[in-house]
Amino acid sequence: MRTLNRRLDGANVLLTVLCTILVVSVIGASVLMNSVTRYNTASSQVRGWKESLYAAESGGDVAYAEVRKTILDPTNAFSGWTYSGGVHTKSALTFGQDNLTTGASVDVFYYDTNGSPWYRIRSKGTAPVLGLKRVTMDDRMGPVTRGDSLLRKIDFNYDHFIATYGPNGDGTGKALVPVSAPQITRRIELVAAPITPFEAAIKCVGTFYGLGDAAMIDSYSSANGAYYFCANNPSDPHFSDSRSGNVEIDSAVASIRGMLYGNVATNGGTIVRSSQITGTIDNNVPFTLPPFKLPTTFGLPQSSPTKVTGNTTITPPAAGTAQTPIFYLLSSFTGNLTVQPFGTSPTYVDLHVTNDITGTVDVAQNVRLRIFFDGNITMKARDMVNESGNAANLQFYGISPTDPNATQSINISPPGNFAATFYAPSANFTLNGNPDITGAIVCKTFYGNGNTSWHYDRKLDTEGDAVDYRIVSYVEDIR
Amino acid sequence: MKLQTSRRLAGFTLGETLVTLSLSSIILGAAITSGVSLQKSFNAVDNYFSTHIQQIRIIDYLNRDVQRGLVVTTSVDLQTVTMTVPNYIIQAGDPEAVTNPALVGTPRTPTVSYTTSGLQVNYGTTTTNVVYSISGNAILRTENGTVTTIASSTDQLVPTTTDVELTNTEYTASAVTFMPIFVSAGSVAERTGTSVYETAYLRNKRRG
Repeated sequence: MRTLNRRLDGANVLLTVLCTILVVSVIGASVLMNSVTRYNTASSQVRGWKESLYAAESGGDVAYAEVRKTILDPTNAFSGWTYSGGVHTKSALTFGQDNLTTGASVDVFYYDTNGSPWYRIRSKGTAPVLGLKRVTMDDRMGPVTRGDSLLRKIDFNYDHFIATYGPNGDGTGKALVPVSAPQITRRIELVAAPITPFEAAIKCVGTFYGLGDAAMIDSYSSANGAYYFCANNPSDPHFSDSRSGNVEIDSAVASIRGMLYGNVATNGGTIVRSSQITGTIDNNVPFTLPPFKLPTTFGLPQSSPTKVTGNTTITPPAAGTAQTPIFYLLSSFTGNLTVQPFGTSPTYVDLHVTNDITGTVDVAQNVRLRIFFDGNITMKARDMVNESGNAANLQFYGISPTDPNATQSINISPPGNFAATFYAPSANFTLNGNPDITGAIVCKTFYGNGNTSWHYDRKLDTEGDAVDYRIVSYVEDIR
Repeated sequence: MKLQTSRRLAGFTLGETLVTLSLSSIILGAAITSGVSLQKSFNAVDNYFSTHIQQIRIIDYLNRDVQRGLVVTTSVDLQTVTMTVPNYIIQAGDPEAVTNPALVGTPRTPTVSYTTSGLQVNYGTTTTNVVYSISGNAILRTENGTVTTIASSTDQLVPTTTDVELTNTEYTASAVTFMPIFVSAGSVAERTGTSVYETAYLRNKRRG
């Protein structure tokens, strides 16, 4: 009898190897699947979440640029936007290599006491979500708590926001709006507020030198009455208004001297805290001062006077208002000008001087005078008589030359004191002597070498027409 | 009858069997050990990724609330962050909603008021209080008393946030770390190696 010889040992080995490979593969596949899902989240959903905010903020920037144009380039403001029901709307535009989309709407929600509008900007940004069409496995944090999807709301099939809250989020117009591909949309609301001319005691974009070693800058509020020094008395009821004598310099070249009851900001300067500066010091605050243009809201000028070469008195034919002052156009201002009120009414007068100013001015009580000038100013401090003592009642505005390389000059020399404001972003301002000043100055460069006592009136930060806009509020609709 | 002897049917010798068994045991042991290690490694990677996703979620939550915040403060141990955010949406019980219940769930129109620090934009007369804190293995977000668990892991997730105030704004610098399963170079180094950082600035002017 012969025993059958079986040679099946090799199959057992093959089977064992295959099983081992299978087990390892299953383990690997499950881990890979989990990892891919999470990678999908990390690389796509998280990215979409962040990029949708970038898109929304880009839309906000586009809208903000249009709001700024309402002052800097009124002719072209909101050009290409649709306007309906008081709302400017920019239709959705797609940009970037990731095909982000953004759209914005702008409306006025408030007018301040100067008549300047405050704008509300609503912007939404959308980013596509690539990858698998699913939420993540990390979504469930507990029996009733979601994880990622509670934070990052992804529209897989329909726009959840319009379906739940309506297109404007106010509950009206709810609809099922399909989306062509998964996406994330984020919505923000910004408020653009007018920048008033006189936010600080001194503001300049170029070099700064001043003041004398024994000089002082502090603040008060004319709403509380006349100025008195209380910056060293915390128990004084007006102490909180006494330390806003701020100096803002958009330059690294700044020599701060004297006692300063307020904050100092430079752009790359090296100002260090000392006992001479009571407030904060921030050496990283860049800003811009756009050229100042003659307002376009002036009406026809009064027939006379058209020049001030001798002793001239203006008594306007009406009181005017802050928004519609009585307007005069002067080709020369070398004489002595006195401006009287209309009866006993608060009177508002605007002058446009198309040449240099070398004369004197006397502003009577109950008059607010604004002088817009094309040339330069050379005056003594005593020649600016502001009988009310309220700096807001004598305002000088330097109209920027059309040649950006041209510079105006404002030279104030002793003797005397004055209460006035200057807004001249293209002017080099020189202050000589030791005048007692109530007011604010905005200029290109500043030089002052005297032991001046300078009092900034906090009420000035709400005075004057808007010269630009800034974003002052930011909220996100997180629904 | 005489059985035919065939050398092909010969069995293994005892020595061959012992050698084979030894080798097989070594190979099987190595395979099992490798499998277990592989499983552990996969598990650790999976767990690491899962916790990392939660790190990002914590960062995204913090970032979103800081950006829209009005003021942010952090505790001494840097593990509790308290912030105030505008009340953008009208809620039930708000003064407007009492007057007109249809306004619930709608955005507020901003208002402007003059304060000692200048003009200020408000959404309603009150604000929302948001607190981030750690409770055991969970990271909690509490909004006006309503608690939400935004992350939870046995890997000891720890977010820390510092708050730096500037003239008009402030920023927060946060780091979220956790303790991974595999530790080889010491716990401190292993935790530091998992750090995810973020810096977020207030978009609003700081109040307070």
